[in-house]
Amino acid sequence: MIQLDVLPASEVAAERAAGPFARARAWRSGDDREGTPAAAALRASEFLPGAVDDAGADGPNRREFLKVMGASMAMAGLAGCRRPVEQVLPYVRKPQDVIEGTPNYFATGFPFRGVLEPLLVESHEGRPTKVEGNPEHPVSRGASSIWAQASLLGLYDPDRSRFVRRVGEQTDWSAFATHARGLAARGAELGPVTVVLAGPSSSPTAARMRRQFEARFPGVRWITLHPHGDDPAAVALGGARPLARLSGADVIVSFDADFLSDGPDAQWNSREYAASRRVDERGSMSRLYVAESTMTATGGMADHRKRLRAVDVPFLAAAVTTAIEGSAPAGAAAAFAGDPWVHAIAEDVRAALGRCAFFAGPTQPPHVHAMVASLNARFGQDVVEYLNTGATPAEPALTQLATAVADMASGRVRLLMALGTNPVYDLPAELNFAEAMGQVPESIHVGLHRDETAALAGWHVPAAHYLEAWGDGRALDGTLSIIQPLIAPLYAAAHSEIEVLNALAGAPATAGYDLVRQTIQSEFGGQVGGGSFEEGWRTALHDGFVPGTAYPAGAAPAAAPALADLQPVPGDAYELVFRTCPKVYDGAYANNAWMQEVPEMVTKVTWDNVALVSPATAEALGLRSSLNGMWHEVDRLRITLGGRSVELPAWIQPGHPDNSVSVSLGYGRELESDREVSDRGLLQRLFDKDIDIYRPGPVANGVGVNVGPLRALASPAVAAGVGLERVADAYRVATTQDHGSMEGRAIVRMATLDEYRAHPGFAQREEEYIDGIPWQQYPPLWGEENNPDSRPAMTEAMYAENQWGMTIDLNACSGCNACVVACQSENNIPVVGKDQVSRGREMHWLRIDRYYLGEEADPSGMVTQVMICQHCENAPCESVCPVAATSHSPDGINEMTYNRCIGTRYCANNCPYKVRRYNFYNWTKALPLEVRMAQQPDVTVRFRGVMEKCTFCVQRVRTAQQYAHVGGTTLADGDVQTACQQSCPTDAIVFGDLRDSSSRVSRLRQNPRAYPLLGELSTRPRVNYLARLRNPSPRLAALEAPAGAAA
Amino acid sequence: MAHPTALAREHGAAPYSRGPVPDAPTLEDAPLVRGNLSFHDITELVAGHTEKKTPLGWFFAFSLALLGLGILGLALTVLIWNGPGVWGLNNPVGWGWAIVNFVFWVGIGHAGTLISAILFLFRQKWRTSINRAAEAMTLFAVACALLFPTVHVGRVWVIYWTLPLPNQMSMWPQFKSPLLWDVFAVSIYGTVSLLFWYVGLIPDLATIRDRAVAQGREVRAKVLGVLALGWTGANSHWRHYERAYLILAGLATPLVLSVHSVVSFDFAVSIVPGWHTSIFPPYFVAGAIFSGFAMVVTLLVVARKIYGLQNLITLDHLEKMNIIILVTGTMVGFAYITEFFIAWYSQVPYEMYAFMNRATGPYAWAYWIMMSCNLIFPQLFWVKKFRRSIPLMFAISITTNIGMWFERFVITVTSLHRDYLPSSWDYYSPTIWDILTLVGSFGLFFTLFLLFLRFVPMVAIAEVKGTLPQADPHFYGHGDGHGAGHDVAPAVVADREGA
Repeated sequence: MIQLDVLPASEVAAERAAGPFARARAWRSGDDREGTPAAAALRASEFLPGAVDDAGADGPNRREFLKVMGASMAMAGLAGCRRPVEQVLPYVRKPQDVIEGTPNYFATGFPFRGVLEPLLVESHEGRPTKVEGNPEHPVSRGASSIWAQASLLGLYDPDRSRFVRRVGEQTDWSAFATHARGLAARGAELGPVTVVLAGPSSSPTAARMRRQFEARFPGVRWITLHPHGDDPAAVALGGARPLARLSGADVIVSFDADFLSDGPDAQWNSREYAASRRVDERGSMSRLYVAESTMTATGGMADHRKRLRAVDVPFLAAAVTTAIEGSAPAGAAAAFAGDPWVHAIAEDVRAALGRCAFFAGPTQPPHVHAMVASLNARFGQDVVEYLNTGATPAEPALTQLATAVADMASGRVRLLMALGTNPVYDLPAELNFAEAMGQVPESIHVGLHRDETAALAGWHVPAAHYLEAWGDGRALDGTLSIIQPLIAPLYAAAHSEIEVLNALAGAPATAGYDLVRQTIQSEFGGQVGGGSFEEGWRTALHDGFVPGTAYPAGAAPAAAPALADLQPVPGDAYELVFRTCPKVYDGAYANNAWMQEVPEMVTKVTWDNVALVSPATAEALGLRSSLNGMWHEVDRLRITLGGRSVELPAWIQPGHPDNSVSVSLGYGRELESDREVSDRGLLQRLFDKDIDIYRPGPVANGVGVNVGPLRALASPAVAAGVGLERVADAYRVATTQDHGSMEGRAIVRMATLDEYRAHPGFAQREEEYIDGIPWQQYPPLWGEENNPDSRPAMTEAMYAENQWGMTIDLNACSGCNACVVACQSENNIPVVGKDQVSRGREMHWLRIDRYYLGEEADPSGMVTQVMICQHCENAPCESVCPVAATSHSPDGINEMTYNRCIGTRYCANNCPYKVRRYNFYNWTKALPLEVRMAQQPDVTVRFRGVMEKCTFCVQRVRTAQQYAHVGGTTLADGDVQTACQQSCPTDAIVFGDLRDSSSRVSRLRQNPRAYPLLGELSTRPRVNYLARLRNPSPRLAALEAPAGAAA
Repeated sequence: MAHPTALAREHGAAPYSRGPVPDAPTLEDAPLVRGNLSFHDITELVAGHTEKKTPLGWFFAFSLALLGLGILGLALTVLIWNGPGVWGLNNPVGWGWAIVNFVFWVGIGHAGTLISAILFLFRQKWRTSINRAAEAMTLFAVACALLFPTVHVGRVWVIYWTLPLPNQMSMWPQFKSPLLWDVFAVSIYGTVSLLFWYVGLIPDLATIRDRAVAQGREVRAKVLGVLALGWTGANSHWRHYERAYLILAGLATPLVLSVHSVVSFDFAVSIVPGWHTSIFPPYFVAGAIFSGFAMVVTLLVVARKIYGLQNLITLDHLEKMNIIILVTGTMVGFAYITEFFIAWYSQVPYEMYAFMNRATGPYAWAYWIMMSCNLIFPQLFWVKKFRRSIPLMFAISITTNIGMWFERFVITVTSLHRDYLPSSWDYYSPTIWDILTLVGSFGLFFTLFLLFLRFVPMVAIAEVKGTLPQADPHFYGHGDGHGAGHDVAPAVVADREGA
C-alpha cells in the first residue's frame, strides 16, 4: 500500500517543535511561520483553495474526468491482467537533495569485531541500497568486506526484532526508559551485582557511555565477549595491535592464521599481500609459508602450505623461532628440528631481515601470539607496526566469565545486561549460562534479533542497525569515523546501544546524534576540521573520517615467552577446532540469506556447517561421502567431548590435517520473529512449489548444527582428545562446485616465478586446432562482413566510443567472496535456498571457482578463479537465441534483454563458461516487503523463465556515460567501476575501456601473463585472466615433487 | 454389396502398369496380401472396423490413454504455473527430458512419411498395407514432439515470438538460431505430412461415406461427405489425385531428410563437446528412421492381431520393416563408433573427455543401454527366423524405442553435464514431473492413435487393392487368374470384437 506523503496537522506542529535538528521547512506566510490554527489547517489540506476545480454545471470537471478515465484504463488493463498494477507516485513534498532516480552517497562506517570499516553507502530516495568502501579512507580505499556488503541485507532483515518486550510481552521504549531510570537510581546499590556482557567496540562514544554507566553503577562487571571467549592476541598483546604492511614484506609466515579472509584486518592484509605479489611492479615477490589446521583462502595462496593440527602449530612456531635464531629446538618443538620447511623459513628470514611478517591465528594460544609479536619485532620491524590502541589489558574474559556465571547461578548477580551479544548461544556450554541466567532477577537484552538470549531475558530492546543510528568508531589504524545513519529506524522501538546505555546510566534522554557529537567535540574537538567545530564536523561527516586520528605507534612487544607449560598432544589424538564461520561469523549473520547462500571459500558448501576431516581420517573413521546424483550425500560425525556430543555432517576436505576436525560456529540458531507470514490462497497452496526461503520463518533457523555444546571453558577454540564416531547417514549437503580438479585443462594457468622470468609469455599458449593457424586468427563465426564490430550499428552507435573489458589477476585473488556478495547486492540477485542450490540453480552472476592442485590428501595448492560472463565478442550464446534476446551492445557488452527472453536456455547450454543463470522459478515474487527494499532500483528484477547473467554492471556504465554526455566530457579511466571491482580488496579485478590504450585494463591486457580463458574456442572474451605465479623456496622446491600446475 | 467405386476398381480400373511380369523370383513375387482376399473382402475388412459398434476393448484402451492425457494436463499445469524449476534441470544441464522427448517423438514421426513418400517414389508396393497407420503415427508423434519445445520455454505465453510475425517492435526472430530453423522445419514437416495423409485418405473416406449412405447413417454420411471432398471415383479424380499424391510425395521426401537434419543442428551448431559434430545430420536421420520403423512395428504387430489384419499386414511386411531396422540400427551404431574415433582423431581434450565420459562417466548406464538396444539387439535380425518371429520383433521394437530415447538422452544430457569448466559440472536427475510429462505424451499419442483406429480406415483400402493380382490389367485377360476373384473361399475374417 502506498500512502501519499502528506503530513497531518498534528505532525506538522510536532515537527516544528522538534528542535533545531528537525528538517528545515519552508513557510508560506507569516501566519504559517507562526503556526496559527488557520494556517495549520491550510497546511493540512492537500491543495490550496482554488487549486481544485469546482464541479462544473456542464459535465464533469477535470478531476472527475481523470478519475473516470483512470478507472476505465484500469479496467481495460485488468481485462488483460498479467501482473498486478503498480502505481508510482511522485513526492508531494520533495526532500532537499533528492532527485528521483539519482542516488545519493553518504559516508558512514560499519562497526564489526571491534573495528569500524569506513563505508560509502548508496541511497535511493532515502533507502540505502548498496554498501561500498570509502575510497578516500586510508584503510579501505574503496574496498569493502563481505560482512559490510551483507550488512545491507541485515538492515532489511524481515526477522529483526520490532518491539521492546518485557518478559515476552510487547511494550514500548518509554516503558523501558522509565524502567532504566529506575535502575539507574539504584545504581550504587546494583553496581556490584551487575554483569554486563558487551561486544568489542572501538567507539569513543560507547566508551564514554560505558564510563558514564560505570560511574552510575560502581563495581559493575563489564565483560567484553569474543566469539572464542577471548581474543588470544588481545590477551597476549594488550593494547598493541599489529598492522602489517605486507607490501614491503619478502617472507610471510602464518601459524594457523587465515589473515587474508578472517579477522578485522583481512581486507587490509589482502590488499597489502596482493601488492607484495605484484612482481611486474615490485620487481620481486614475497614468499608465503602457511601452516594451518584447516584449508583456508590464505593456505590456498601459500607458496608452501603445511597441514598441521592446531595443537601442533605452537611447536612448529617454536621450532621456526629457534631455527631463525640458529639454536636447537627444545621439548616438543624438537619434533620439527629436521623439518626442511622450518629451515627453509629460517633461511629466507635470515636473508630478509626486517622484511618478514609473522601471523598467529585465533586457534593459537596467547603464547604463540606473543612469540609471533617477538618475531615481528626482531625480524619484521620494517613491515609490522604495533599500534597503541590505548586499550588496557583486562583479565581474560573467560576467567571473568567463570566467576560471573558462578555468581549468577548462586543468585548473587541481580542485574544482567547483554548489549548486542547473545551469551546464551555464544558462551561455552560448560558454563550453563542459560541456567545461571534464570537465577538473575533482572536481565536486559539489546539486540537486532529475538535470539536465544532475548527469549530468556526480562527486557528486550531491539537494537538499531548501524545504518539507522548515529555512532562512531575507529578503523583498523585508529582513524576516527562517524557512523552516519541513512534511514530512520525501520521499527520505531529500535535504539542504538549508546542510547540504551545512556538511558541506563540515568542521563537525560539524548538523541544518539547529540551523544556522538558531544563525544567528538569533547574528545576530538581539536582534530576535526580547521575552523569551527561545526565546520569540522560537517567535513568529517562528508569525508567519513577525521584525518590524523590514527593510533600512535606502540611499544614493541616483549620477548617471546617459553612454551614450557604447553603440553604436546599425542599425534593420534583427535583435536577439534572451532572456527568462526567465514559466512555467518559467530551466528551474527545467520539470518542473512546472502551469507547463507554464498559458498564457503574452500568447501563451496552453502546453507550448512560441516565437520571437516582429512581423507585419511575419514578413512580411519569409515566416513563416506558420495556424489549421489545431484546431491552430496555424506555420513555424519558424532563428536564427543566432556560427555556432550554433537552430530555434524562430515566433509572430507583435501589438505586438512589428519586427526583433526574443524567445525564452524554460528549455526543451529533459534530465532523468533515478529514477521507475519501471509497465508496463501487455495491455488497457491495446491500448486506452488515451496521455494520461498522466508516462508518457513527466520532464515537462520534449521540451518546447520550448533556446536556450542562441545565448547568448554578451557578449550574455547581448540579441544584435544575428542571422541569421533561415524553415524551412517545420507545427509545432503548443498555445494556449488562438485569437482575440484581442472582435469588437466589449462583453466587457471600458473608458473613459478623463475619460469615466468624465463618465459614471460608462458600463459599465452597457442592452441592450434586448425593446422598452423593460431586461434586468434580464426575467422568469426558469421564471417568478417557480419562481424558485429564492423557494422554501422556498432561503429556509429551511441556508446560505441568505449569498448569495455576486464582483467582478473589470479595472482592477487584469494577468493574472499566479497565480490560475490557485492554483485548480489548490486544486481538484485535472488537467493534460492539450500534445496535449489543443491539442484544446481544458484543464481550468483559472479562465482569463484576453486581447484586443488596435486594430491587429493595433501594438495600442493589451491587456486581460485573469479568467473563471470566473459562478454565474448564472438559470443556463442548470442547466435543461438531464437528471439534475439541476448545481443551485443555497441560498447562490447553482451546484453540480456529480459523482456524479450522466452527462456529456451539454449544460450546457457552453449556458454562454455557456464555463467548464465536461469530463473527456474519466480524467486522474487514472494520476497517480504522489507527485503524488497534492499533491491537496487537501477537494476531490473527478473521474472521467472528468463535468463540472466553478469552485465558488466551496465547500469553503472550507462550512468557514467550519461553524466559524461551531459557534462560534455569523455569518460576517464576509472570513472566506471563494476561492483565486484569496487569491493575487491586485492584490486584483482580491473575494468575499463579497451579503446583507451592508456587505461589500466588495456595495459594489463598487454601483460604477458594475460590470457583469454578457452580462447581456443574463438569466443574472443572481453575478460582476460592474468596467470598465477608461485614463488617456491628453492630449498623446498628441490625436495618437492613438481607441483601439479596445469599450465 | 459393393459400392460402384469399388466395383469400378474390381473391374479393372486399377492404375495401369506397363511392362512385363518379371520372371525371376523377387520380393515382389510373393503376394503382398494373403488369404485370397477379393476387393470387396478388403473393403469389408478395413471399413468394417470404422462402422461396427465400438468394442469394449477399445473403450478400455481409450480410457487408459485418456488417463495418460490427463496426466499430461496435470504435468503441464504444474509446469506452467510454477516454471521449469519443477523439472530436474540445473545450470549446466539446461535441456533435459523435454528436449530428449522432443527429439524422440520427432524421430518416431519419420517412419510414416518415409514409408508413404520415399517408398512410394521407389515403387515399393509393400508399403501400401502399412502406410496409412504409419502416417497417422507420424502425425501424432509430431504433435507430441511439438508440445515439448513449446512448453519447455520459461515463458510459454510468448512462444509466438519465435514466429516471424509483424509486430510493433519491428523485431524478427533470430534467423541464426537453430531453434528457429526447428520451428520452420518441424511445422512444415507436420503440415506436409498432414496434407499427404489427408490426400491419401480421400478415396477411402469416400468409400466409407458411400457405405454410410447405404447403411442409412445420415449424420455419418454427411460428415464423411464433407471430409471426402466430393470424391466420386471419376477418372479425372483419380488422375488428379495420383498427380497430387506424387507431387506431395516429392515434396515430403526431402522433408524426411531435412527435418531431422535440422533438429540435429540444435546440437551440431553449438560448441558443446559431444554436440558439435558434423556427423549429426545423417546420423540423426538414420536414427529417426530406425526408431520410426520400430514404433510402426510395435503398433502394427498389436493392431494387426486385434483387428485381424494378418492378411493385409503380413509377416513379409513386418520382415521388410525389420530389415530396415537392422540396416538403420547398424548405421546408427556405426555413427556411435565413428564419433569416438573422430574425438580421438581430433585430439581436442574436451571432445575426447566428452566421449570417454559418455562411456565411463556417471551416465555410463545410459550409454550402455543405448549401445545394447540400438547396436547389439537389432543384429539378431540377420537371422531370418528371428526377423519373422512376432514375439522377438515386438521385443526388439520395444528395446529400439527405449534405446533411441536413451540415445537422445545420452546426447543431450551427458554432453551438457560436463563441458569445459569442471567447476560447473553437475548431475541431472529427472523429477516426477519430467517423468509424468513423458508418460502424458504417450497418453496424447495413444489417445490420437486410438481415435484414428476407431474412425479412420487404418489401411489404405484403395492402395492395397492396387497391389492385388486382380488389379493387374492383365489379370483377367490371361486366364491364369481368371475368375480367381470369384473362387476364393469366404474371406478369413478374424476381426471379431475383442479378438
